[in-house]
Amino acid sequence: MRLILLVLCCLSLQLSAHEMKSAITKVLFNQRTGNIEVMHRFYLHDAEHAVKKLLDKSADLIAKQSTRDSFALYVSSHFQLKSDGQDLKLSLVGNELDGRFFWVYQEVAIPHQLTQLQLRHNSLQSLWPEQVNVVNIEGRGKVKTLKFTPQQQWQQVQLSN
Amino acid sequence: MSYKKSCVALALMLCAQASLADPIAQTKGKFEDKFRQLDESLPTPNIYRNAAGEPGQQYWQQQVDYKIKASLDEEKRRLSGSQTIHYKNNSPYTLKYLWLQLDQNIFKPDSMAEVTSTFGGGSSPNNEMPAKISLDELRNLQFLADHELGYQLDNIKLADGTKLKFVVVGTQMRIDLPKPLKPAESLQFSMDFAFNIVEEDAVSARSGFEHFPDDKRKGGNDIFLFAQWFPRLVAYTDYEAWTNKEFLGSGEFTLEFGDYEVEMTVPADHIVSSTGDLTNASEVLTKEQQQRLEKAKTAKRPVFIVTEQEALENEKDDTDERKTWRFKANNVRDFAWASSRKFIWDAKGYQQGGADQPFVMAMSFYPKEGGDLWKKYSTESVVHTLEVYSRFSFDYPYSVAQSVNGPVGGMEYPMITFNGPRTELQKDGSRTYSQAEKRFLIGVVIHEVGHIYFPMVVNSDERQWTWMDEGLNSFLDGIAGREWDPQIPWGVEARDITDYMKGDQQEPIMTQSDSVTRLGPNAYTKPAVALNILRDVILGRELFDFAFKEYATRWKFKRPTPSDFFRTMEEASGVDLDWFWRGWFYSTDHVDISLDKVYKLQLDTKDPDIDFERRRKEEQDKPMPIFVELNEAEGKTTWVERNKDVTDFYDENDRFTVTNKERNSYQQFLADLEHWERQVFERAIEENKNYYVLNFSNLGGLVMPILLQLTFEDDSVQEMYIPAEIWRKTPDAVSKLIVTDKTLKQVVVDPKWLTADVDVENNHYPRQIIPSRIEAFKREKSKDLVERDIMQDSKTKLKEPKAKD
Repeated sequence: MRLILLVLCCLSLQLSAHEMKSAITKVLFNQRTGNIEVMHRFYLHDAEHAVKKLLDKSADLIAKQSTRDSFALYVSSHFQLKSDGQDLKLSLVGNELDGRFFWVYQEVAIPHQLTQLQLRHNSLQSLWPEQVNVVNIEGRGKVKTLKFTPQQQWQQVQLSN
Repeated sequence: MSYKKSCVALALMLCAQASLADPIAQTKGKFEDKFRQLDESLPTPNIYRNAAGEPGQQYWQQQVDYKIKASLDEEKRRLSGSQTIHYKNNSPYTLKYLWLQLDQNIFKPDSMAEVTSTFGGGSSPNNEMPAKISLDELRNLQFLADHELGYQLDNIKLADGTKLKFVVVGTQMRIDLPKPLKPAESLQFSMDFAFNIVEEDAVSARSGFEHFPDDKRKGGNDIFLFAQWFPRLVAYTDYEAWTNKEFLGSGEFTLEFGDYEVEMTVPADHIVSSTGDLTNASEVLTKEQQQRLEKAKTAKRPVFIVTEQEALENEKDDTDERKTWRFKANNVRDFAWASSRKFIWDAKGYQQGGADQPFVMAMSFYPKEGGDLWKKYSTESVVHTLEVYSRFSFDYPYSVAQSVNGPVGGMEYPMITFNGPRTELQKDGSRTYSQAEKRFLIGVVIHEVGHIYFPMVVNSDERQWTWMDEGLNSFLDGIAGREWDPQIPWGVEARDITDYMKGDQQEPIMTQSDSVTRLGPNAYTKPAVALNILRDVILGRELFDFAFKEYATRWKFKRPTPSDFFRTMEEASGVDLDWFWRGWFYSTDHVDISLDKVYKLQLDTKDPDIDFERRRKEEQDKPMPIFVELNEAEGKTTWVERNKDVTDFYDENDRFTVTNKERNSYQQFLADLEHWERQVFERAIEENKNYYVLNFSNLGGLVMPILLQLTFEDDSVQEMYIPAEIWRKTPDAVSKLIVTDKTLKQVVVDPKWLTADVDVENNHYPRQIIPSRIEAFKREKSKDLVERDIMQDSKTKLKEPKAKD
């Protein structure tokens, strides 16, 4: 028997201007490179707080490459793509700071005859239950949007050509 | 209800809704009028709010004054109080009952917010996976189970002692009046209230206590933040009557303006920060503290009223004594305060000038955990906010503006804001903070103090429309932030919202707060970006700033609705913006303008000696057919080449040969022209301009101006602005003729990314490959200097270069 625990969400979402607790990811079918390119965008402020909890207090996204690399590794292990149950092994391309955002990049070659995709993105959700990760799938017909909350682990999309 | 019946009922309902929503409909064909005037969707103007978006000639609002005595039991973490409320009915209607907001009741286990909180925070159910529960969620659960929360109310009575009948409905309470309250009449009633204070970190609220277990005082210390803490009158309005909507958490509140006299009794070693003016400073502050406050009035930098050393002494000890602090605030729509023995307190006077409120005291209250970050930047950020916001609206109308550090990430009340950023304690005992935390502090103080203007003075209803305060305020905090330091990326750039807008999971901005799934992009960023575009792209700063200031001053200390904003911005700018409100606020369209094709036209001169030669040239310029090329390569000769002795007229004259027949007809054509036709024609021929037709399609649905950058063969560049109205007849596709002396080389739509166009690639003609972020990243790894660890690198010692062997 699988373990099922009840989940209660927070009473009220605290509305504060700058704690977004949300990330947005672009999954791009790039015909030019033949790759599925995955580009995660986190608010730098969210990521700054996260690395101090995930790594240690001396973690510093702005000052340390090692912190950036560790956080990118963390993100890459919390984002997965599958097709027909088969893992699509994403390679970690890199990361960068850009203004108030922190980006993490991954990619994998577009498999032949891909008609559907299963996705999971649970970065930061073990830290913050209110973390919402939004994924836009682009480059195969109209943009499709998926929203991942801690309760929404795997989701599937049908791809148009 | 049987299945069949319910189907019929549903069908009827849908019909009714459709007809209600839009009485005028395109019932044939697909034309969508993106410029349809908005009036039919806005409420009908009336004597209370007029068609210009102004308060109408008989605009009214209620006046509610409070006298409150509150007492904090620090040990039990319980607040109890009594209040006398004076209610003045300025409406033209007779009231048989009054509604009050009981926001503390949202924490009750049977509150609607609690009972309807969904599994998964709003996502669709998922049956296939085991769910998880976090420690934060368990903490929340346990706190709610261990504490009795919500209001305890007692002794609700009129001034003459008559007990009032009341009914509590969730987070609201109806009080029935023994005698209806007629227009212009007043009523005074009182009540006792008490509640156990929530631990903010456990339940995530907008107020509550934060515990510091490591402080030297036995049992540690708390910071208490009190907001939404006393039963408050629900707003009664001309447009919605009682705005009595259950408090569900997301939508905040609106209230009535009134005058407050509040006294709070707290442990004698506490420092209180509050809405209003302190009226008994001599009783609660030391002589020295009062002198320091005096000194702060004219100081260049903040002056400590309570120093860090004094605060550290305070937080070590305890006292049984108590003090009562008294505050008075006029014309505020709410009242909040904070209390702790941990507070460091600094202040700096701000001479803003003007007749209404020439002097304002900016102040900050924070524990040692705020550290240098707060000492340096909190109060200065408060003053900066007042300087910028007043320019866009009106002089700050109150005597104090405060920033208080506690458990709340960011929240605003009249004259007082709660802000969360802190420093980190390092192993060596020092306190440091990251650059991101510094930006966060400055940003959040600007944002929350900005809210004192919107919505605390321009009193929009946050429970219905979050964007009216968050959107306007995010727009202004972006301006204030960039005026602080433009090197810091403050957000609200158009490109920051494109990923949200192109997705298929979003709601229109004009959605009630509690139904919005992601408030950040929906109610903060998207409206702020929209207003930036309106200011810098569509109206220009002069028109926009005039209209925006007009909106702010019209509705200062009054209650605007969205239609008042939309109408004022149009009325004062003189520009029809209905298409803009429809696109950005009433729809989920996004911006994606594609430049599909550019082709060149050449005017025929009609003169056969010119035109025929041109056609001959065109024919010659065509590439040689492959058949001919291959035959030549094989050395094949043609019949004509082999039989050169057989020729005739057509070997000398091709099909482009001009005869007098064509010349005569040209002369006849000129002779037949009207005088004006000939003039136009001859001039056009003489000028010999280039005519380019640009074909655009609107893939995103949202109509927007087309910003063009034309680059010519001589490398000169011309910018061109085509107003959004170009889309009015054919919103899906338009063509534009451009006439120029020069030869066009390249056209780019929106080259500076000002319009939130989600696809940049189709903005170029000829098409240009726009690398994805990953492609760009691979090409050149970021060389952003901010990534250098300068703190570490600066320790590097100078070295002599190594000599070659």
